[in-house]
Amino acid sequence: MAAWVRPTGTLTRMPDDEPDDGPAIGGYGIASAVVGVIAIAAVVLAALIWTQHRDDADELRYRARAMAAAADWTSVLINMNKDTVDASLTKLHEGTVGQLNADFDASMKPYRELVQKLQSRTTGQVDSVAVEFVHHPQGGQGGQPPPAASDLSEFASRTDTVMVVATSISENAGSDKPQTVRWTLRLDVSDIDDKLMISRLEPIR
Amino acid sequence: MRTAWRILAFDVAPPLAAIAAMVYIGIVLVWPLWWVATFSVLCVLIVEAVILNGVLARRDGVTVGTDDDGPRLRLAVVAGATVTLAAAVVVGYLNWTVADRNLRNDTADVVGIASDVAEASATFSPQSPTASIDKATAMMSPQSAETFKKEFSSVAKDLTGRNITAQASTISAGVEAIGPSAASVAVIMHGTQNSPGRPPDTAVLALRVQLSKQDGRWLVDDVSPIHSR
Repeated sequence: MAAWVRPTGTLTRMPDDEPDDGPAIGGYGIASAVVGVIAIAAVVLAALIWTQHRDDADELRYRARAMAAAADWTSVLINMNKDTVDASLTKLHEGTVGQLNADFDASMKPYRELVQKLQSRTTGQVDSVAVEFVHHPQGGQGGQPPPAASDLSEFASRTDTVMVVATSISENAGSDKPQTVRWTLRLDVSDIDDKLMISRLEPIR
Repeated sequence: MRTAWRILAFDVAPPLAAIAAMVYIGIVLVWPLWWVATFSVLCVLIVEAVILNGVLARRDGVTVGTDDDGPRLRLAVVAGATVTLAAAVVVGYLNWTVADRNLRNDTADVVGIASDVAEASATFSPQSPTASIDKATAMMSPQSAETFKKEFSSVAKDLTGRNITAQASTISAGVEAIGPSAASVAVIMHGTQNSPGRPPDTAVLALRVQLSKQDGRWLVDDVSPIHSR
């Protein structure tokens, strides 16, 4: 306490009357400073934890959005009827981007033909949607290679692959037995200016 | 100038920091009732202390920060605010950083386990009929392993009788949903069945694997086909 020098004979001393060098900083002062530095470090850490968690939460939210976008798009695809095929295809086309958008008519041809050939009333349901975590490309299975991922790096801030499993049941005009179609699709969902679009469609066969 | 710094560092900053830290804890814990109660009480105490400090400053012309006779109280004020901030960091680290990291690790874990179990459940060889079942049940919870074995023993007999070999390889796997103690994983596989004298039969299989965490270990509860029909 000896360090806290106080001029004698002064009853009330306004803080501004302090000598220029002020009272020497004692042990408690040093302790306060150390604790203060710890407090500042804690504030920095808390801010870091905050931003990191916000990024993680945003990532989960984004994945949920990507899954929803893929599910919505697929649900239009698997619910195409002979009467609504044109409207559905327009809607699907609007939801695509990149190579899939450019080659839309070509890549949708099998689906359009299927619907028109079957003359069906189709009701489909999405059974499962998941953001793909591991992917082992099938080697040497024959058949046509899956469509290559189009280069969207200029427009899309990110692209994720979403797996969609769906079932649709077609009641065909002619036949008596309803036909079940099982869909297993890999969709690339691209983020274009915060709008999620489908940039690739790969049916797994 | 020095006085202004002392007022800022000891009279203004600590109560604000303490309240901010308590709000931070509240956000991290999503305001449980007990914290709302604690928070209100502590806030009232802090506000009271600030008002008292202000009143005494008007009377004595000296605050906690500028009182040269009160270094102990100053240290206590700074220490109190620091403890609150440190508590906020610890609570944030445990509830956010650790939880987020666990979720990321769990995602990788469950996808790996689900892919292995799904492959094993669609693999069969007449030479060692139980090999793949044993591999799958090793990663299952005891009760579901029992059901799984029962279901498969009849299928296995049939397949052995017809000398059928089945293989499956994962094409894609991803998490449908995951929480701290339960997860659901979708696995899309390419399955091949070979029977003597016939061309190999291939199919795309989509399986949903449900897992739960028991004693820190992910175990498979159920394996079922995803397609609704």
